[in-house]
Amino acid sequence: MDKNNIININDLEAPLFIAWQINAECNLGCLHCCEEAGHSMPDKLSRDETFKVLEQIVALKIPYVAFSGGEPLLHPYIFEMCEFLRKNSIDLKIETNGEYIDEKKAERFASLNLRSVQISLDGATSVAHEKLRLGGNWNKATNACKLLKSKGVNTEIVFVPTKFNIHEIGQIIDFAYSLGVYGIYTGKIMRIGRAAQNWDILCPSDEEYKEFFTTLNEKLKQYDGKMKVYFYPYDVLEELKYRRMSPAASLLVIPNGKVKLIGPLPFVCGNLKKQTLKQVWENYKISWQKPQVQEFIDRLIKEPKLLAESNKWVELFH
Amino acid sequence: MKLKKFVKTRDEKFGEVIFDTLKEKVFVTNETGKDIVDLLQQGYSSENIVRSLSDLYNKEPAEIQNDILSFIDSLKNNSLIEV
Repeated sequence: MDKNNIININDLEAPLFIAWQINAECNLGCLHCCEEAGHSMPDKLSRDETFKVLEQIVALKIPYVAFSGGEPLLHPYIFEMCEFLRKNSIDLKIETNGEYIDEKKAERFASLNLRSVQISLDGATSVAHEKLRLGGNWNKATNACKLLKSKGVNTEIVFVPTKFNIHEIGQIIDFAYSLGVYGIYTGKIMRIGRAAQNWDILCPSDEEYKEFFTTLNEKLKQYDGKMKVYFYPYDVLEELKYRRMSPAASLLVIPNGKVKLIGPLPFVCGNLKKQTLKQVWENYKISWQKPQVQEFIDRLIKEPKLLAESNKWVELFH
Repeated sequence: MKLKKFVKTRDEKFGEVIFDTLKEKVFVTNETGKDIVDLLQQGYSSENIVRSLSDLYNKEPAEIQNDILSFIDSLKNNSLIEV
């Protein structure tokens, strides 16, 4: 049996994972939002189109889907979408700011037997969290974790380090453990979307990252076997250098049904309003080899500022 | 023995993908591995898997036993199955 990195996407009939940004609406205006969410997308997928995509996910036996946004709990029929996938045994993760999770929603998530609900918590206290997540409410986010946990939902926390909060990494991990969550995820902030626009005020220094990873490694040992502490040590350029050689077996669907190669690149390899998921998957496989993509990655490596263009979509197929 | 709650499988031309969605780890195996996982999912014990596959492949159980048990061990070691 072979693990992970030797998977060649050309050997796969379909993706293994769909990251689906189901809406662009958001109640917050986070300084580091990758999707620059907060607006309504005029050409978003209709209800019929959405369910056609869901049906294809089931038909292609794609084992794992994550719904994010925007804020996915603002999507008008998120629970129906969840129910459809779960009824068909597709594992599902919801990535939310947690602010709309009340007792009733927590119970509904519990009944869906989700893989997990992931709450964004960018501070061990309200100060850093709310400075970074404009309009955000730390109490609501932490209460969401408590409610979900109390209902038996597998709950995770994601923490994005910035200059405002990187020093809180140890505290947030301890806090996550005190909440009883399944795990906490973190990694270097990605220079895309609104984070790219605010890069100078957000990006931690090398020295701050060094301390961050030292603490993470200590916490990893401290919570070994008790709570999952997961961090991805690479930045977005390192990720791209790797992915150009070994693309992930996943598709990133945005609210209007377009499918991006990967978050940090502007390239779109298909449109689920016009093409089947299978056709888009075939496009995806060949897209990575296109000179346009490879050359853009080369340019990015020399000029990381170009990452700010990640949400200015470039169609690879016409 | 059975696959853990968040472990999914999908047939592919080369055999099968085994995806632990909770840990977000993917494994691949060939047709024989796929046959073993299928039998595990049907509730077969290790001994019965050896017997069943020896019939299927027309081999002596002793010939294939070590490979099968070692594959099942690797599933256990990667926490993909529960006993």
